[in-house]
Order: sequence, then C-alpha cells, then structure tokens
Amino acid sequence: MTASISLRGVGRTFGATRALADVDLDLEPGVIGLLGPNGAGKTTLLRLLATALPPSQGQVRVLGRDPEAPAERTDIRRRLGYLPQEVGFPRGFTAFAFVDYIALLKEWTQPAARHAEVRRVLDQVGLSNLVTKRIRAMSGGQRRRVALAQALLGSPPVLILDEPTSGVDPEQRVTLRTVLAEIARTSIVVLSTHQTDDVAALCERVIVLDQGRVRYDGQVTELVRQAAGRVWLADQPDPAATVSWRTGTGRYRNVAAHARDGVEHVEPSLEDAYLLLRRGSPENDPAKEVAS
Amino acid sequence: MTGWHLDDGTLRRYVGRTDSLAEGTSVEQHLLSCEQCRARVNPAVDVIDLAAVWARTRDAVEVPRPSVFERLLRVAGLPAHEARLVAVASAFRGVWLVGVAAVLAFAALAAAVGHARGLWFFLAVAPLAPCLVVAFSYDRRMDPALEPEMVTPYPALRLILLRTIAVLALALPAVLLLGLVVPGDAPFAWLLPAIGFVAVVLAASTWVSPLNAAMAVSAAWLTTVWLVATRSASPAAVLQARIQVAFLVLAAASFGIFLARRRHLRQLRPWR
Repeated sequence: MTASISLRGVGRTFGATRALADVDLDLEPGVIGLLGPNGAGKTTLLRLLATALPPSQGQVRVLGRDPEAPAERTDIRRRLGYLPQEVGFPRGFTAFAFVDYIALLKEWTQPAARHAEVRRVLDQVGLSNLVTKRIRAMSGGQRRRVALAQALLGSPPVLILDEPTSGVDPEQRVTLRTVLAEIARTSIVVLSTHQTDDVAALCERVIVLDQGRVRYDGQVTELVRQAAGRVWLADQPDPAATVSWRTGTGRYRNVAAHARDGVEHVEPSLEDAYLLLRRGSPENDPAKEVAS
Repeated sequence: MTGWHLDDGTLRRYVGRTDSLAEGTSVEQHLLSCEQCRARVNPAVDVIDLAAVWARTRDAVEVPRPSVFERLLRVAGLPAHEARLVAVASAFRGVWLVGVAAVLAFAALAAAVGHARGLWFFLAVAPLAPCLVVAFSYDRRMDPALEPEMVTPYPALRLILLRTIAVLALALPAVLLLGLVVPGDAPFAWLLPAIGFVAVVLAASTWVSPLNAAMAVSAAWLTTVWLVATRSASPAAVLQARIQVAFLVLAAASFGIFLARRRHLRQLRPWR
C-alpha cells in the first residue's frame, strides 16, 4: 500500500456549474496547503478527497484504494480524518460527548480506549479544560477546535481539513500548527485556508486553485521567489503596480507583474506572490486594484 | 519488646481498613514500637493503579450519563456503543416528541369522550405518529453533524435501520397505551396502517427525503380519513378485514421496495 493520494483528470460539476476541471495531483505525506479565492473549488476538491463526494469525471485513488467501490471506500474512511467547512453539533452535546459520538462511528467500540483517545485529541486542540462544556455555549474558535478534534481521532494517515484555523485565535493557531506539523511527519495533511501566513508557516507545498483549475502546484519557497523584485514600498500607490495597499506605517506596498527598477524593493511574502499569481498575469486579469 | 508480632490476617485487615476500631488502635500502638512489623506494612498494601483510578474519576465527570431511552436499549440487548448511536438520533432530542405526544393524548381524549367524530380524529392521527417519528429520526435536515458522520466507516444503512426500529419500539407502545382509553375495537385499527406508513416512508426515502415522504403520506391519509368521515361512514370501516389486509400488503410491498432500492437511500447519496 502506498501512502499517497492520486487524482487523474478529475472534474466535478453541479448542474451547469463546473466546480473542478482536469485536476491531476499526486499527494505524499506532509502538509499541503490549498489556496484560492472563494468559489475556486477548494471545498469541492477536499470533499472529493474525503469521500464525501464522488467525481463527475476522472479517477481518484486514496492510499491505493478506489472510493467508487463501497468496500474500498469504507477502507479509506477507516484511515481518514475530515474537518468539513461547516460542522453542526447536536443540541445539548458537550465537547466530550460529540467527539465520543464520532469515535463510536469510527469503530472505537472499547469504552476505555475510546475515552482515552477522545481526551488525547481534545488535549491536542487545547480543550482539555473545556471537555464538559456544552458546545452551544462555546465561542466560534472553540467550536472549530472541537470539530478539528474529531478529525484527529486515531491519528489517521490522511487528514483533510477545510479551513481549520478560521475563527481560531493567534495563540491557538500556533499550537495547532505544531500539532499538524507533527502529524504530517507520517500523514498526508491537506488543508485549505485563506490565511497565507498559515501556509507559509506550515506547508512545504502549495496548490493554488482558480475557477476549478490548478493554477500553481509546487514549493512555497518557489512561489515566493517568483515575486522577487516585484514588491516595493512607496509614499503613493504606484500606477505601474498591479495591486497596492496602504500599510500600517502609512506607506504603500506595491506589487507588480513585471520587475521594476529604481524603487525601494522589499522581501516578498507568500501573500504578495499569491496576489501576483491571481492578478499578475496579463492574460488573466489586467485590472489594477488600489486598496487603502 | 515482646516477641509478639502481627499475624498476616490482622495486617491484611489493617491495611484493607476492614479491622475494628479496637483492633486498629492496638495494631497502630504495636507498629509504633515494632520496626519488624512496620517493614511489613508497605508490601502488604496492594499496588493501586493510580492511572485507572484517575481514568474512572474522569469518566464519572466527563462521560455524559446515558439517557433513560439509551438505558432501555441496553436492557433490550443492544451493545452499549450502538445504544448510544441510536439514542443520538435527533428524534429523541427535540421538543417535537412532546408535541407528537400532546396531539396523540388530545386525540385519545377526544375519542374517549365521545362519539364517532372523536374516534375518527384518533384514527386520523395515531397511524401517522410512528412514520413521522421515523422520518424525523434520520432526515438529513434534522442531523446537523451529517458531513463528519457520512465519512466514517460505520454503515449508514445499519444506522438508519437501527434508528427506525428503536423509534418504533418507542412510538408503538406509547400510541397503544393511549389507545386503551379509546372505546371499542378502534384502538387496534391503526396498528396495521401505522406499520404500512412506516414502510412507505422507508421505500419513498429512496427517492425523496424521509421528511417529505412522511408529510406526503400524512397529507394523503388525512385527506382519505376526511373524505370517508364526511360520507358519514363508521370508524369501524377501517377494521374490515379487506382494509386491514390491504394495509398489510402495502407494508410488505413497501418494505420489499426499500430492500431492493436500499443503495439509493437519500442518506447514502451522493454515492450509489
């Protein structure tokens, strides 16, 4: 059995809407970040990987198994942790009760072992002192961590996380990054996010989706390198820039598709590179944007 | 110092705290002066598995207590983990169960106080309660945690059937008890229609959502009862053998369709 995921020519349509088209990917253990604007197909791709949705075209293989075959699909689900974009909680449940319930569905039938595992994952997400708190009384970030805890049950070899850090405070985000980095030593962790700093801190590989297609697939450092020489600070928004915005110092950060000389260049960030990729190529979207 | 020492039985009672007050005091006095016996105390104490004690303590605090319904399921022979899964069905957690019980109680009361119209009311409402309860117990819209549930290895079909059977085990006796206050044979006239409607909902939920199916069945049954009642037929009409057999056939046929089309259940989609 290979610890990998492969997609060949995968597409997914919802009625007349094409959410994904011609996606070819090979995923190995490590943290893989998924970036893209709203509606780019990130959630659809994650649901395909999590066996929550079948593809309309193409072939998906998770850990060498075919999710189209019911027995193999069940086999994949035994080795899978999935955090959906939105998780509802049954009324009146405590954090412990909810994770314990999902653990039952994940075939943890022995009470002692199950309870120990539930405590372990709640501890991992920093909720060990809130296990008896009702989920409805929790903050958004705490609920998100309860949802993440159920995905971590059994330290699965495949972990699919749809915006795991949304609503989570900075301190907890750092803790979660440590937890995910540890899991990724042996597991395939695919996460989608709008936080480029999460990707920069956690992922070696980044996949950028746009309109259902893969726009970039490679090393984070390589993507950032592409923006070198194209990011500079100035007192005014530069007309030559593709994107400009006012920073906390009162100066403008300018990002342009083409390298520019004679300006005060700064080190590009992943966010700069991502914005360039999204808006930088002239054939894609030449519209300039200035935000202040 | 005397040559007397604690015998094994006395020492065991002392460390196990099963000795009497007098014996305990005497042992402690002796231990103060006898080094040899003091050395025997520690090894006599059983090793306490602190981790296990701690886990039990945490379980007592953290693990939610099983509901009455869950305990009943366990008494009925369902393994503890499956009893929990069944009890979590939203049907047992909503206030709507109280609503169904209230409607039924009202219907039974109407039937008990009087004439044919009251009986018709009971016959109209009673057969619908079980199928509505079943539909609520596993409709997607009633299950907020569906997405994480769906990608677990637990077979969805098994979960649905377990919840259906458990709901019936709860709903049928409740309606039957209420039916006892209804005069005549009418209390039993609803049984076969009720089972037939549950089977129809199961079969129909291979095409549409269980709740939509239950609402369609309810509307059809209420219309039929209203039409028959306005033609001033007696409620005893439902008890006719051919009508009861028709409901039995409906139940059998619907269950057959459900089994044949089980892979198309709405809950199992989008996979087929």
